[in-house]
This record gives sequence, structure tokens and C-alpha cells, in this order.
Amino acid sequence: MLLLPFLAGLVGLFLPGLARGLGLLATLASGLIALAALFAPGVAFYAERPLFEPAGVYYAVGLDGASAALALTTSLAVFLALLAVKEVPGRMLALGLLMTAGLLGIFASLDLVLFYFFYEATLIPSLLLLGVYGGANRVRALIKFALFTLAGSLLMLAAILAARYYGGAESFLLRDLLSARPEGAAATLAFLAFTLAFMVKTPLFPLHVWLPDFHAENHPSGFADVMGTLYKVGVYGFFRFAIPLFPAAFAAFKPYLLLLAAVTALGAAWIAYAQKDYKRLLAYGALSHMGVAALGLFSGTAIGAVGALFLLAASALYTGGLFLFAGWLFARFGTLELAPTHGLAKHAPALAAFGLFLFLAMVGLPGLAGFPGEFLSALGAWQASPFFTLVAFAAVIAAAAYALSAYQRLFHGPPGKAVADLSGGEWVYATLATLAVAFLGVYPKLLSGPIHEAAQAFVAAIGGGK
Amino acid sequence: MTALAVLFLTGALAALGGLWAPPRAVKQGVRLGLLLALFLLIVAPSQSAFLGLFTLDPLARGVGLVAVLAALFASLVGSGYLEKTGIRAFEYHALLAFSAMGALAMAATENLAVILVGLELLSLPLYALVALRYDEQSEEAALKYLLLGAVAAALYFYGLVLYFGATGSFAVGAAAEGPLFAAGMVLLLSGLFFKAAMIPFGWWAPDVYQGAPTPVTLYMAAGVKAAAFAALLRVVVGAGYGGVWAAVLALAVLLTVVYGNLAALAQGEAKRLLAYSSIAHAGYIALALFGPSPAPAVGYYLLAYLLSTGLAFAVLTQVDAGEGVPFAALQGLIRKSPMLAGMLLLALLSLAGLPPLVGFWGKYLVFVEAARAGQYALLVIALLTAAVAAYYYLRLVAFAFFLPPEREGAVEVRPLAAFAMGLVAFLILALGFFPQAVYGLFAGS
Repeated sequence: MLLLPFLAGLVGLFLPGLARGLGLLATLASGLIALAALFAPGVAFYAERPLFEPAGVYYAVGLDGASAALALTTSLAVFLALLAVKEVPGRMLALGLLMTAGLLGIFASLDLVLFYFFYEATLIPSLLLLGVYGGANRVRALIKFALFTLAGSLLMLAAILAARYYGGAESFLLRDLLSARPEGAAATLAFLAFTLAFMVKTPLFPLHVWLPDFHAENHPSGFADVMGTLYKVGVYGFFRFAIPLFPAAFAAFKPYLLLLAAVTALGAAWIAYAQKDYKRLLAYGALSHMGVAALGLFSGTAIGAVGALFLLAASALYTGGLFLFAGWLFARFGTLELAPTHGLAKHAPALAAFGLFLFLAMVGLPGLAGFPGEFLSALGAWQASPFFTLVAFAAVIAAAAYALSAYQRLFHGPPGKAVADLSGGEWVYATLATLAVAFLGVYPKLLSGPIHEAAQAFVAAIGGGK
Repeated sequence: MTALAVLFLTGALAALGGLWAPPRAVKQGVRLGLLLALFLLIVAPSQSAFLGLFTLDPLARGVGLVAVLAALFASLVGSGYLEKTGIRAFEYHALLAFSAMGALAMAATENLAVILVGLELLSLPLYALVALRYDEQSEEAALKYLLLGAVAAALYFYGLVLYFGATGSFAVGAAAEGPLFAAGMVLLLSGLFFKAAMIPFGWWAPDVYQGAPTPVTLYMAAGVKAAAFAALLRVVVGAGYGGVWAAVLALAVLLTVVYGNLAALAQGEAKRLLAYSSIAHAGYIALALFGPSPAPAVGYYLLAYLLSTGLAFAVLTQVDAGEGVPFAALQGLIRKSPMLAGMLLLALLSLAGLPPLVGFWGKYLVFVEAARAGQYALLVIALLTAAVAAYYYLRLVAFAFFLPPEREGAVEVRPLAAFAMGLVAFLILALGFFPQAVYGLFAGS
């Protein structure tokens, strides 16, 4: 599953013409594998081989419900994105595929060093995507992004080492580490290091500042932004590693984490409302959603964790879709400013309808993919802290405000420049994306069932440490 | 043992043969000799000769490999540069072989006096190599290196005398106590810090690295550092921990990683930048010296560092026409030569320690040693400075990739050099995915 996108990406780097076709095949295959894992009980496709035995590092991968759900939506989102984008260099798609391989690796890793390996390896293609294909201020955005990520993740490496040597575990395998958890001050420090790293990657206020620049400067087709959206693995990292490994430290810091999540959710939604650049608006909107997801997870309840991961998985689809949608707008108007584009519905009704659909999914309209995640996150969070839940869910109202006002500015008002409606390839993408988003909305159990299994293990791990 | 002999014969034959044979033949002969030595080092069993003065253990094997490989690589990628700058060819190759022999002698002994002999054997050819370009910069660098190298040797020698006074032996691990022994240890370490380019004795490195002919810098950065660390490791491990020198070592590591990385931020010339980065890397390697079994980690890191920095300097060698490599000269490299740009990217990311490249595993092993020793404070500082390092490496990448070239024109690379560089690039990537493949060389299996 990991190998296919990697190989496709590698071949694509040298033969850019083949990148798209190979990528479609590879992501389709990995998506099917993830789907199979979703229906299998427990950890599917488990494999364990020594990677660097003297150093205690194993190539241990497997997909439990949560990993499989994320792997599935990742594959699906990349598959769809490959369909949607036009006129982009093949090498760019190839880099995206390499990144996909890294992301799938992140979700499948069951060895902490292997996780770190994929976590950092994914950074390289994302930096290249930004650096080679980005906008005018890309170097600044790139340095910001790289430094935030690296500063966080290098501390995490120290914490990973500490987790093993303080706890006295045999290796870096997650199960070994879980059976020999470190205690005391060392655990607290290690948890904080993990927290910083994952806060950068969730991202949570105040470590989110790289995000808007990152999206604003990326290639206007939106392909790189989709990859960036998928790269928000912080919530998953908390879920899989940081919290189960250090439950006592998590319990101590829980109120602060909830506070940060709530601030992120509301603050980002507020800022999104004031944005004039379409991509920045989306960036802040997505950030706000991550705040909601983090809130659900930090509640420490199974239902909140299910909601958080569901939101993470589903938002990959509709946030990614919105970024691609931004790419289409850019192709038509040559700008991402919101001001000059108005009255679009007149010339391109299908485009407008598709945009409305994605915006509604983002707002969390029941029946679409955004709703179950937000609802379950809220349910879980309420049990932990009704106050923060109220604060954060004011963000959902704010989301309606920024999303709908953006929609209104884009599509209504006096008709502007005449532009083409959806073309053939865009129709294919729009149809498939609509189906996927609606399907997850009406049948969330496809993902939430398997995630729930994993979430119960997560809750058990927290409870066991108290 | 035979490897040492082969290196000596290679150097001697090249030096004599250079007087009458065509330089081309000398060049190829040296390369064959180095290759043979490499092969012998890999297959030779662990052994001891000259009444135990020469000990080929896994550490010596690994470090010797790194040094010989560095010399071979410098020889392979340097030809174009030599021609561009009018350096006479045969001396360059002969001196490389001699210096590699010194490195092996220094690494493969447990006798402090023999380490000194190896150190001189390693350094004397280098002084000549640094001066080889015969211009003002090159000569200035050579003079600096010679004078400071002499000071280093003198410090080491003082240390050796005190050590002998305290223990009555030149062998490492001859335990003793008291101020005399401690002073001897500190002086020994200081002398070796010089060669390893560790602060507070690494000030020479930026000037010398910048002034020296670029392929010589390649060899210095990778080969000399390797030999110095082999000796450092033997001295430190032999003496055990505790006492003044453990504190000295910790302080040196701290200063080295912080100063090397911060100073690198302010550089505008690629060779100089890599010199500061080389100082910083010395600090990372030294982190492993605290650990319970440092030898494999040090050896592995040195190999990873050789591959990464070697490839980076090899790219600079191709770009450099004898005037150094200001950042502006790298602008638009991706358009002039996508191959070189790709290799530079690989090398720099590996230096930054990003997976899936070999540099990551080097850093990982070293950090594991530090963690096992409980040196978390140093570890965290080192990791934070590693983030700083990523910044200046990325800046260099940004020049090569994202900015338009200052002037057009392709960069020529000779086929053999391109082949050698391609092989190294492949190793950087392949060892990133299969780190265990060469670990046995350093762990003594």
C-alpha cells in the first residue's frame, strides 16, 4: 500500500508524463486496501520486520479502524485531486504522490521511530511543492513552515528517545512502549515535547501562524493545498501516540489543551470572516475545524475521539475540494481575491452549485460529511467541559457566516466577467466528490464504526494510566 | 595491516612515479590503490600487529573506510577542478593517498604515541594540499592550518607527556587519578578537538575550508574529522567518565553545536557555510561519546557525514572555478544542471538529518547514545540547533532551486566524477531506507 504511491511518485519524477495515470492507479489501489482494512476487525495487514535492529527500530505497520479510515480518505482525496487538476506539471503530481506515500506511512506506523521517519520524510516533498511551484513570497512561507515543523518534530525525537529509555522498553514498537510507560517528570516533559510538535501540525493556536502563508503561496491549482490539508496529522498524532503514552501528563494538561482548542476554533473562524483572499479564508476555516476536532479529542471520551477523527478524515475531502475549487476559480479569473469575482452563478450555475455544496459540507449541514464529525466532537467535548464547547461551537455559527458570505460574494451580486462553466474533467471530479461527501454524510457508520473500535482502545489506554 | 601497506605503497609509488610517468597514469594508479585498500579494509579480519601498536578493530575498520573513501571520492571528483585552476595533478593524488594512510594509522591504534604519529602523517600532506592552488587565499589557508596544526600537535604532545607521567604508559585506558592525569587528559582532548574542528579549538576551520582547493576541503571535512574522532573516542572511552574531562567534553559539545550552527547562519559563501556546518556536526558526533557503546554510532555518523558533505562539496567542486562559491554562483543551478542541483538537494537534506536519507540515521544513532547516557539537556539543545541548521541548508537549497541564474551557461561534469557522485547519491538514499545494510562494518559482527 505504501509502496505503490511511492513508486508512482518516483517514476513520475523522471517521467512526468506518466505521473497522473500511475498516481490514479496507485491511489485507487491503496484506497481499496484501506477499504478492506476498514471492514477487517482489529489491526489489518499487520507487518513487522526489523528495519534497523541494533537500534531497536522496526518496520511495523498495520491499519486499525482509525488508521484505515484516514488512509481511505487520504487515498480518495488524492485520487480525486489527480482527476481534478489540469495543466499542472507532472513532477508536481509526482511530488504529491511521494507525499501520499509518506502520509499513508504516518497513518500505518506502529513503531515510534518509523512514525517519525515518515513524519519528517513527508516534509521534503511538501517543501518542494511549495518552493518550486509556489507564489511570489514562497521562500518566506517555506522557511516559516519548515522551521515550525522542524522545531516541533526535533523536540519530538528527543521525547521519543526519552519515552523508550526512561520507560525501559525493549524497542520503539508502540506495544512495547505502551507496556513500559515512563512516569513522573520525564513523562511530563516528553508529553510537552510531543504536544508542541503536534500543535504545530494540528495546527493549534498559537503555533498555527505558518498555515495561512503556506496555503496562500502554494500553487494556484490547489493540488498542493490538498496535500497540505492532508498533512495535518497532529490530531492523529495525539490520538495514536502522545496521549496513550503519557496519560497522566495528558490529564494534568487537559484544561489548557481544551482552552487552546477552543480558542483555535473560534479565533480562526473569526479571522476567516475578515479574509479577502479566498485561499486564506479557506486556510483559517480549515484551522477552525481542526480546533473543533482537537476539542473533541482532548475531551478524552470515546465519542469525542470518534468525532475528531471523523472530522479529520471527512475534512480531507471537502476542504481539499474547496482548495481545488479555488484552483478552478483562479484558472478562470487569474486571481484569488474575493472582491473582483461576483455574480458567478449567472454564467456558471453548475460551478456555483458545486461550490455551495462544498461550503455547506464545511458548515456542517446535517446529511453531509462535515456534520457527524462536528456533532460527535461536540458531544464528547460537552462531557469534558460544557463551557469550552459553547465557545468552540460559536465557531460553527461563525463558519456559517464566513462560508455563506464568501459564497454570496462569489456567486451573487451583479454578474461579472463571463466565465466557462464546469468542463468535462471537472464534471467528473465534482460528481465523485459530491457523492463521496454526501455518502459520508448519510452513512457515517462506514468510518465511525471502525474508528469507534480504535477509540475505545484509546480511552482504555487513558483510563489504565490513572 | 595490508591496507596500511597498500596505502603507503600507493603514495610512495605515485610520488616517485610522478617524476617521470604521465600524470594520468599516476592518477589512475592512485585510484586503483585506494580502491584496493578499501577492499582490503572490508575483508580483513580483526587483527593486531607490531606488538599491538596496530589494532584493526571495528572502529578502526569503519573510520579507515571513511577516510579512504573520502580520499578516493576527492580524487574522483577533483580532476575537473584541478584543470580549471591549473593545479599540478600527480602531487594531489599522491598526497591524498599519504594522508589517508595517516588517517588509518591514527584510527587503528590504541597507543597514544602512535596516534600522534598518525596525526602528523595525516596532517603534513594536508598542509601541502591546502597550499596547492598557489594563490594568496590558498597560501594563507595553508599557513593558518600549519601554524594552528602545530599548536594542536604541541598541546597533544604536552598532554601525552603528562599522561605518561601519571600512568607510566602510552596505552589508552591506563587508569590513574590526580591533577596530573586530569591535566594530561584535558590537553590530549584539546589537541584532538583541534583536528575534529570542535569549539573552542575549531576557529581555523572556516578560513581553511574556504581557502583550500574545494576537493581538498571535501577530504578534510570528511576524512580528517573521521580520524580525529576515532582517536578522541579511544582516549575518552579508555579513560572512563568522570573527572574534569567529562565536564570539558560536555562544554565543548555545547559550544560547538551552538556556535557552529549560529555562525553558519550569517555566511554568504557556500564553502564557508559548510565549514561551520562541519563544526556543528563535530558537536553532534561528540554527543555519542557520552553513551555506553559509542563506537558504532560514531562510525555510522562519520560515514553518513562523509556521504552527505562529500556530495555537497563535490557539487561545489564542479561549480567552483577557483574563486570559491558565493551563494550567487549557485543561483539557478537547477536550470544549469538539474543533476547537480538534485544531488545538492539530497546532500543538504541529508546533512539536515531529514529522513528518508542516511543523515537521519546517523543523527538518530548519536542521539540514542546521548539519551542512553541521560544527557537530555545537551540532546535538546543539539536538536534545537539542528532546526537552526535546517534553516541555512534550506536557504542554500532556495538559492539553487528557486532563484534565476545570474549568468547562463552549463556546468560541465566529467563522466567519472558524475558516476562517483551518482553512486554516492544512491547510497545516501538507499541507506536511508535500509540503514542496517552497512551497520555491521561498524559494530564488529
